[in-house]
Amino acid sequence: MDIAKILKTKLDTATIVLIPACIGINYLGKLFASILKLPLWLDSIGTCIGAILGGPIIGAICGAANNIIYGLTTGDNITLIYALTSLGIGFVVGVMARLGFMKTFPKALLCAVGGGLAAVIISTPLNIMFWGGTTGNVWGDALFALTQANGMGVAVGSFLDELVVDVPDKLLTLIIVFFIIKGLPKKLTSLYDVNAEIENLD
Amino acid sequence: MKSISLFIDKGTWLNRLHPYTKLLYILAAVAVPLIGGNLWLFVAMIVSSLLILASGKIIKNALPLIAFSFTLIIVIFLIQGLFNHSNETAFFSVFGLTFYKEGVMYATGIGLNILNMLLSFGIFVLTTSPQELVDELEKSGFSPKFGYIINSVFQILPQMMSTKDTITDAQRSRGMETEGKLIVRMKAFLPLISPVVMSSLINTRERAIALEVRGFGRKQKKTWLSDREKNKGDRLIGIILVALIVLTIVWRVVLCR
Repeated sequence: MDIAKILKTKLDTATIVLIPACIGINYLGKLFASILKLPLWLDSIGTCIGAILGGPIIGAICGAANNIIYGLTTGDNITLIYALTSLGIGFVVGVMARLGFMKTFPKALLCAVGGGLAAVIISTPLNIMFWGGTTGNVWGDALFALTQANGMGVAVGSFLDELVVDVPDKLLTLIIVFFIIKGLPKKLTSLYDVNAEIENLD
Repeated sequence: MKSISLFIDKGTWLNRLHPYTKLLYILAAVAVPLIGGNLWLFVAMIVSSLLILASGKIIKNALPLIAFSFTLIIVIFLIQGLFNHSNETAFFSVFGLTFYKEGVMYATGIGLNILNMLLSFGIFVLTTSPQELVDELEKSGFSPKFGYIINSVFQILPQMMSTKDTITDAQRSRGMETEGKLIVRMKAFLPLISPVVMSSLINTRERAIALEVRGFGRKQKKTWLSDREKNKGDRLIGIILVALIVLTIVWRVVLCR
């Protein structure tokens, strides 16, 4: 499979409408996670749906637009910094979905690990630059404190801090996304099919 | 329906200022202390942001914004004060835990940076309506499609919120537990979120058709419903802010020699 085919994107009305819906879904995921007091973020469900339906480019746009919009309107401008992370998650999940990683459940788990690792790799330098290595998640930061107390490097500690939060977070996210995508009606998913052709009968 | 935007219209000079001028202020507030490399510059920018917020009568609304960052700052203080690698000089002890000077100074820098960013963004967020920002972005050449994405988020979210409430009530009335152990709460997540997500994705199909029918995909230049009043302050403040950034760069370069 060549790169052009993986990155192929349709920018029609249907995909433009998909992006705000995905951004709303991200917000809902975060909201439910805080209502149920789950120790994960779950704020990239929409980004992943966008990436799987619309491809890597739409996934990346969903992710970046998500953080920029919330950062500039809800005052939670810490999210603004992580626009890069969301962009990475959307892109990686999109590419893996196009490579067929969302077809079966075990493969979807691999896709989640890919997305999680992308998030870790992009977030770790940002965490070190802005907060000296912490992530703001209770479990991860406890681990970070432990590594620092034992004299490990800031980068290693911060990497582990992000890893224990992001990978489970993306695993749960993509499990949810997998079941949602499976349940979507064909008439909806066909809207986003890049290889769809209009057949003329006359 | 509650909007997620924090915008409040108090009719002050901050509301009349161009969104770009306020964005430039954020840039200056964040860049000046970082370029200058002095902790007092953070303090100066924080004080100036507080004064601006006060003059716009929105200082009360800015407090919740700062409040939620305090846990983050406290965690950073604990971790850096206790375990920072360059820790050598003992600073003070509480409950048998020794805080070190180097770590505390490092944490102070990060804490001030967070406060500074939150306050300068607060000025923008509290005084600029998303609609105005989108209009100005489109006028300076952004694609109207991008503008639609931003505007649409604000229309879709209240709808999704009310669907969310309906679904939560429906699932609870069927006896689903949403409180208790972690595993119970984890199990509750899927049945709560999937109906909302499904319905909002299915709605996109109808929305796309509705937009298409109204000529959304047309390439012609669009017009605006309302014109912006010209504001004399924008130019002056813009010049001052740019001068401030340039001055800091010059000061830093001269200092390094």
